[in-house]
Amino acid sequence: MGSVEHTGPRRRRVRWTVVLEQELRDLWIGGRGLLLTFLFSVLIGVIAYIASTNKTLNFLEQRESVNLTLQVVITVGGLLTLLVAADTISGERERDTLETLLLTPISRRDIAVAKFVAALSLWLVAFVVAVPYIWFLGRGVGIVGDALVTGFVVGTFLSVFLAALGVIVSLFAASNRVSLSLSLFGLLALFAPTQLPSGAQRGWAGDLFLRVNPITAGSHYVGKIVVDGFAWTQDVLWLASPVMGAVVLAAAVPVLGARFMRLRGGVSE
Amino acid sequence: MNERASKWVAFVLLVAALVPACGAYGAGGTTPIVVTVDRAEIPTQLGGRFAFQSTITNRGTTASDGLIAHLNVLSLRDGVYVDPEDWSSQRTRFLDAIPAGGSTTITWDMQAVNAGSFGVYVAVVPRLPAVRPPTTGLAVHIAVAERRTLNPGGILPLVLTVPTLLALLTLGLGFRRRTIA
Repeated sequence: MGSVEHTGPRRRRVRWTVVLEQELRDLWIGGRGLLLTFLFSVLIGVIAYIASTNKTLNFLEQRESVNLTLQVVITVGGLLTLLVAADTISGERERDTLETLLLTPISRRDIAVAKFVAALSLWLVAFVVAVPYIWFLGRGVGIVGDALVTGFVVGTFLSVFLAALGVIVSLFAASNRVSLSLSLFGLLALFAPTQLPSGAQRGWAGDLFLRVNPITAGSHYVGKIVVDGFAWTQDVLWLASPVMGAVVLAAAVPVLGARFMRLRGGVSE
Repeated sequence: MNERASKWVAFVLLVAALVPACGAYGAGGTTPIVVTVDRAEIPTQLGGRFAFQSTITNRGTTASDGLIAHLNVLSLRDGVYVDPEDWSSQRTRFLDAIPAGGSTTITWDMQAVNAGSFGVYVAVVPRLPAVRPPTTGLAVHIAVAERRTLNPGGILPLVLTVPTLLALLTLGLGFRRRTIA
């Protein structure tokens, strides 16, 4: 009796890791992850080069350069995670491999979780690639540690949020093209408020708008730590929406995955 | 004599005309507000944070209300662009009423964002500028030592190495996949 109770969880863990291992192999050994990381490193390198070769930058502008590079790392890292996540279920459908996967003795919840975690690996690798650039730009102004820790924490929350969003959209999208388009549109819509003029960001409405959007709130928090030298606890409430967004959507992935992962996409079914 | 008398009359009239004018200037033009700073010079290095205090004293006989203290920064050498906003995030303070003979002290937190020689001074301006001219105290000399914070040449090996390694890894894996296939 006792042995039966033990085999359940153990078997589930094995299955979950088996799917994750397969997903990671597809992403990294298959070359897609490495190609995206290569392009990401070129982009960050160009930004870091432009920022560091400008000799007229003053002390504060150097902090702003670190902030700019970090914001690009978080943004593009999140974008890559979202793109991979948005391809997970809808991509399998279009490649006619989802049926095989659904026929295996693995719960749909485990499949969804494994794909979600595999997509997150892209953010982790992107961040590791960005570390030398942040170190180079930030060492002179003494903010390497703060920049790296803040970037990792905020970037991880946002990547979890975006990866979960991508998996959920992919779950319901009628086609892979729809899934990618909707995910990109959602990301652009979330990023759009960062371009608002500073005047529009003032007042309670503007403040609330920036706080409830995980992207703008995370960006604000990183900027305050890196540029203005704020303490971690100062303005920490700005992390509320990135944390909430990450927790709620990450919790929704296994629930929705178990309920709605089907051979055919679309919300009408 | 008549000519001498007329000169005296002219002189007396001139003085009589000037006295009220001087009185008017003394009432509105001279200021009972005095601005002092707690130090004359602050040596620091690029990126260093520092603070100084300015004391605004009301030496008049009535309370002084509606004053604004404003911090300003300028380079004492030609060719250095200074953005005071970068040096201090809070450069304007609206002061409470200062009673006659009383004073108020403000602490100004700053950060040196340029290397060189700079002057920092506090100006006190009435909310109704027509009442009296701004009052300034002595400028504090800020000597900011150069500190090399960025080595532009050093980034190039990094910018080239990381993508090259990733490209080689991508190509190597692609080659391996084709060989196995």
